[in-house]
Amino acid sequence: MKHPLASRLFHWGLILGFLPAAITGFIIWYKPESEDFANLAMRIHIIGAAILTVSAVLYSIFKLDRVVGFLRRIFSWDQRDLRWAMLQGGYPQKILFGINILVPPMGKMNSGQKIFGICLFFGGLILMLTGWVLYAFIPVAPKELVYWFDQAHLIMGIFLGLFMFVHIALAIYNWGEFLCMFVNGGTQPLEECKHHNPVWVAEEIEPVKGSGKAC
Amino acid sequence: MAHFDYVEKAVKVSRREFLGVIGIAGAVMWTGAYAVTDLVQDRNKYIKMRTAGLYKDDAKAKIRQSHNNLAVADVYKKFAQNPLSHLAEELFHTKYVNRTKLV
Repeated sequence: MKHPLASRLFHWGLILGFLPAAITGFIIWYKPESEDFANLAMRIHIIGAAILTVSAVLYSIFKLDRVVGFLRRIFSWDQRDLRWAMLQGGYPQKILFGINILVPPMGKMNSGQKIFGICLFFGGLILMLTGWVLYAFIPVAPKELVYWFDQAHLIMGIFLGLFMFVHIALAIYNWGEFLCMFVNGGTQPLEECKHHNPVWVAEEIEPVKGSGKAC
Repeated sequence: MAHFDYVEKAVKVSRREFLGVIGIAGAVMWTGAYAVTDLVQDRNKYIKMRTAGLYKDDAKAKIRQSHNNLAVADVYKKFAQNPLSHLAEELFHTKYVNRTKLV
């Protein structure tokens, strides 16, 4: 079991919240001609933001151990992570030139995923905080603060919005992980895990009673 | 229900980590609540000051009706034709918004 039900539900919260919020965010930024269309986009943007915020709050309250585990993972860096990051996991070499190079073994998250995790953690907090201030407190907040919150929301939104498309593309590329998250109930065959996450398999999982071939 | 043989070892949250997470979350919420109440208090203060200023101006004013206001009469004479004209309605008329419960 790689992704328990609570984590998969939280991930669905991110999909249903962040994805529409990001797409409508780009639409609002582009400033469409039609006012009705802009209003509809803003309404969807706010609903997406609400779903995202509620998911994050509920997950943090009820699955604090998973949140702490996630934070430990994304902020744990050693020589292997740095070497993996320098080689970019060997993916460019593999995708562009068809060459398989040896990369350091990784845990549950590789260095790229850790970087994405760090960006998502801080970026998500910034987006939620600035977004709700812009939604609710513009008439009472100081103008300077609103200006800088607006800029921070825009820049972080563009950054994470583009990062999200990279995440989706890589998730589809890593098809086993995609199936694990969406189809196989959070489980992934042990052999695949040994290939992608050898340190995790060696150190962080333990057998449960029964038999089978998934982790 | 997916079948699986291995499960991730439970994440043990130490007291230090628990207090750290709760502390940061508490500090963020406390600061946010303080900032919001501060802003609202400030806003209330300015609304009250403005209200008091308007009442003071009204009390001091010699002309207290808009139809007696020479400047308004001049505008109608030179520019906006007469009260309730289309142009006057377009330019001057606003909608009433009840703000008595703001403070």
